[in-house]
Amino acid sequence: MWLRRLTTDRIARRSAASADAPLAVVANIDQALRITALNDAAARLRLSVGMALADARAMYPALPVAQADPEADARLLAAIAEWCDRYTPLVGLSPPDGLLLDITGCVHLFHGETALCRDLVRRFAMQGFSVRVAVADTVGSAWGVARYGNDVVVVPGGQREALAPLPLAALRLASGTIDALAQVGLKRVADVLDKPRAPLAARFGVEFLRCLDRALGREDESIMPRLPIPAAIAERRFPEPIAREDDVLGTIEQIAHDLRELLERRGEGARLIQLALFRADGQVHRLEIGTAAPLRDPARIRRLFTDRLAALGEACDPGFGYDMVRLSALVTERTDPPQTGFACSDAEDDAELAHLVDRLGARFGLRRVTRLEPQDTHIPEFAVMAVPAHAPRAPHAPTEQADYHHDSLAPPRPVRLFERPEPVDVTALVPDGPPLRFRWRHVLHEVARAEGPERIAMEWWHDAEGAPLTRDYFRVEDHGGMRAWLYREGLYGSEVARPRWFLHGLFA
Amino acid sequence: MHPVRAETLRQLRQSVARIDPGLHGLDSRPPLALGIDAVDAVLGGGFAYGALHELAPAMPVDAAAATGFALALAARCKGHVLWLQSDFGRRENGALYGPGLDLFGLSLDRLIILTATHGDGVLWAMEEALRSRAVGLVVGEMPDERVADDGTAARRLAFTARDAGGLGLLLRPRPALAPSAAATRWQVAGAPGTPDAFGGLGRTTFALSLTKNRRGSCGCWLIAWDHHERAFQPALSVGVAAAADDRSDRPPLSRVG
Repeated sequence: MWLRRLTTDRIARRSAASADAPLAVVANIDQALRITALNDAAARLRLSVGMALADARAMYPALPVAQADPEADARLLAAIAEWCDRYTPLVGLSPPDGLLLDITGCVHLFHGETALCRDLVRRFAMQGFSVRVAVADTVGSAWGVARYGNDVVVVPGGQREALAPLPLAALRLASGTIDALAQVGLKRVADVLDKPRAPLAARFGVEFLRCLDRALGREDESIMPRLPIPAAIAERRFPEPIAREDDVLGTIEQIAHDLRELLERRGEGARLIQLALFRADGQVHRLEIGTAAPLRDPARIRRLFTDRLAALGEACDPGFGYDMVRLSALVTERTDPPQTGFACSDAEDDAELAHLVDRLGARFGLRRVTRLEPQDTHIPEFAVMAVPAHAPRAPHAPTEQADYHHDSLAPPRPVRLFERPEPVDVTALVPDGPPLRFRWRHVLHEVARAEGPERIAMEWWHDAEGAPLTRDYFRVEDHGGMRAWLYREGLYGSEVARPRWFLHGLFA
Repeated sequence: MHPVRAETLRQLRQSVARIDPGLHGLDSRPPLALGIDAVDAVLGGGFAYGALHELAPAMPVDAAAATGFALALAARCKGHVLWLQSDFGRRENGALYGPGLDLFGLSLDRLIILTATHGDGVLWAMEEALRSRAVGLVVGEMPDERVADDGTAARRLAFTARDAGGLGLLLRPRPALAPSAAATRWQVAGAPGTPDAFGGLGRTTFALSLTKNRRGSCGCWLIAWDHHERAFQPALSVGVAAAADDRSDRPPLSRVG
């Protein structure tokens, strides 16, 4: 699919100028302002791409001119590709102004290739884009026919005939190669089709022959899809767009039934489900749900999306309504139906817990539902890591129990840890005596008992500059029974002149 | 009653409870006992399932003690534990520290932590978790900003807990004055533990005070937590007279002259 006048269409959609006014887009190339794009009216005036703006202005002093903005063009192309997702999930970009859609297997939904092309062109015309579409067996021939040919549909196997009358630029060759071929007198594809291959390769490079083979179908070429291809898709289209949330959720449940059949046939369940809501005016909303265990049940899928939509609130605005709703299973995993027995409450409990975790993740985000896993390090703040509850368990958990003395009456590690240790004012004997009293959050605590120091040195194998200072940890208890985990940062004399004290955690 | 008939009745009760858990009193799990007779007797066996219990620190400095008591209960209960906190609570009071929890007696693979953005999220999640009956214990930390709107939230949670049969613990930042629908209301404070033989820190000790109890009377107790055995023990308050030294029965000889 070739968007013929992408740049000027983008500008024209925003401005109020009529379609008949010529418009040129210029950019600074080689220290001169040159025309990079024209609209149809300007092309009729016999201006061409690459002409200097000064020359164009000499011909037409009142020519409207706009600045080139390649990033905006790229963004617009990406948005159009999003919208084209409704036809097929395999959409690839062919920059700067083309799209490649693989419609194998999707054509029956639109009653034929010609009807699909007509529908596409009509919708784009409604949006203000002029587009040329070509359908062919291979990417190369579709590209060439869209840009340089007249056909819309190339019959299967008819690439040769379709490509023959086109100029060599239709083969996506480099401009240097095209010039070299023109010097020899080869201007059309028909000229090179029957020539012996070895001399062509020797003179113009192997790449030239590869482009030719790809266009004719002798070599395979695949489209690089923009988005990952889902494992299973089910969708519904509506002639009247729907906007109410209840309708959307009901549709989701129905589509989930279809999806379940697809997944059951493969013996899999979905771990990552994406809901794509195609708005009537072109925007696409995508919501994703991740699950802890493979899921197929439509009622549960509906519930998860209810929570996700509730969490999004106003951000998901239907506008004029959605005219297509699609559920895709992006990641699937093999699942076997559980063996139900007489007294099997364990499996049910696990499934219930997994579903609860999924729902909380759908509402708050999967990263906020966590489990703690111990890590193999002696630095206290990294000794445990919060992993999402979905992630599989680590195969082994490092045990640090051996480091702590078993016969202590009080646990050696606090129950609460502050992410940033809070500075406290401490009175203590130098050089390394335990604290006698400390002031934390404006309250003075007199220390009744202290245990320590537990010296934790930072990782010396890291860089010496800015090396963290050694810490001496003390477990202190004040007269009221409050217990805290204080540390002195830096050894007196050898590391710092005045060590600072921090409160890192609290014991129960 | 005939033993076979009793057994059949019990099975029927269980299957009925599975079909319709709304019927009260049929699907009841034994209460979570503390292990100290004085406290369990007052509670009617322990922390009752199908109810909401409130914990609050007596003073703001005892916030960690209230957390510790909740963790001790979690260590004693069966099944998974869901801990709910908000971003603000996490910054203000500190996050739960894994190695500390492990040493306290709560193994890390039973614990799931949810960090919600606001207090509303904590209450919603607590309600959903109680309703789903998937976790054995739900602990929710209520951050400060919900203090104004106490009653309705606690009442909803109590009703959900009663219908579903779960055990919910609500950790408040300070003791609430308004009456609530919770089954029991506790104030927890830290207490100095009996020092060990070397003069170091003793066991983790809590000064519990039961201010509201639907099933019995209130009271104050001093209990200690043994994290190796995962059991509570009654604690003696510090201030008992010092143990008598070993002295001989004859006065020391004094030189005269």
